[in-house]
Amino acid sequence: MFKKQLTIKIILFLVLTDILETFTHLCFKKSALAGSGLNVLNPAGIFEFIVLVFSSPFVWLGLLTVLSVFIIWSSILSKIDLSVAVPIASFSYILVPLTSVVYLHEKISMLRWLGIFFILIGVIFVSLSSTEKESPLR
Amino acid sequence: MKEGLVLILFLIFTTSICDTINQLILKSAINSLEASLSFNLIKILRFILKLASLPRVWIGFLFSVLSLCIWLFVLSKVDLNFAFSVDSMHYVFIALTSQLILKEKVCWRRWLGTLLIVVGIVIVSLN
Repeated sequence: MFKKQLTIKIILFLVLTDILETFTHLCFKKSALAGSGLNVLNPAGIFEFIVLVFSSPFVWLGLLTVLSVFIIWSSILSKIDLSVAVPIASFSYILVPLTSVVYLHEKISMLRWLGIFFILIGVIFVSLSSTEKESPLR
Repeated sequence: MKEGLVLILFLIFTTSICDTINQLILKSAINSLEASLSFNLIKILRFILKLASLPRVWIGFLFSVLSLCIWLFVLSKVDLNFAFSVDSMHYVFIALTSQLILKEKVCWRRWLGTLLIVVGIVIVSLN
């Protein structure tokens, strides 16, 4: 019935992209911290910021994982709709805050966890609707 | 402090728009290739090469570079968990544009989901 059916294989690859994406964001945060003290309200400051951040190895490590996510993502998108694929890849909305507490020692208030919970429920709703009958594809 | 928050929210909004444009371009490019799914690495690489030969994929790439630079700046100013949660606003843009541009069906549950995401973003931004 569905041309664009979710298989276990696709879900596993989506979970893999979640883990890689979480790693990417940790790397980006690490590299961004290098330029956190700069005043970037003028063009020279923006340039200096970009040079400083891109000389951090973390940003390149992050980009490497972005590339691998891109390769996996491209093959996933050829099989299922974007509006179905994106929500399932959203497990990272829990993974990223958790890892930022553990590895970056960020503090997350109860109110913020509530907001994150809302976002996650929203994302689950968005992905649940993919099991509704969709328009016949071609 | 309030003005800083507005600026950060605006910058995250900009990266979300850039990401949405990139995703739409990517999806339409992939649709145009009529690919068959395979997890064979050689086939995937060949597929990527075919994708990379399309000029619009490179326009999408420019948008993601722009998005990355803004994103790194945002991360240098605020906590990762805050920025990442607020960045979920791209779901809303993707839901809107998937329906308007890619003509995908977006049913009421999906709209309810995007509404919950918006509520979540507002709560996350409160403190």
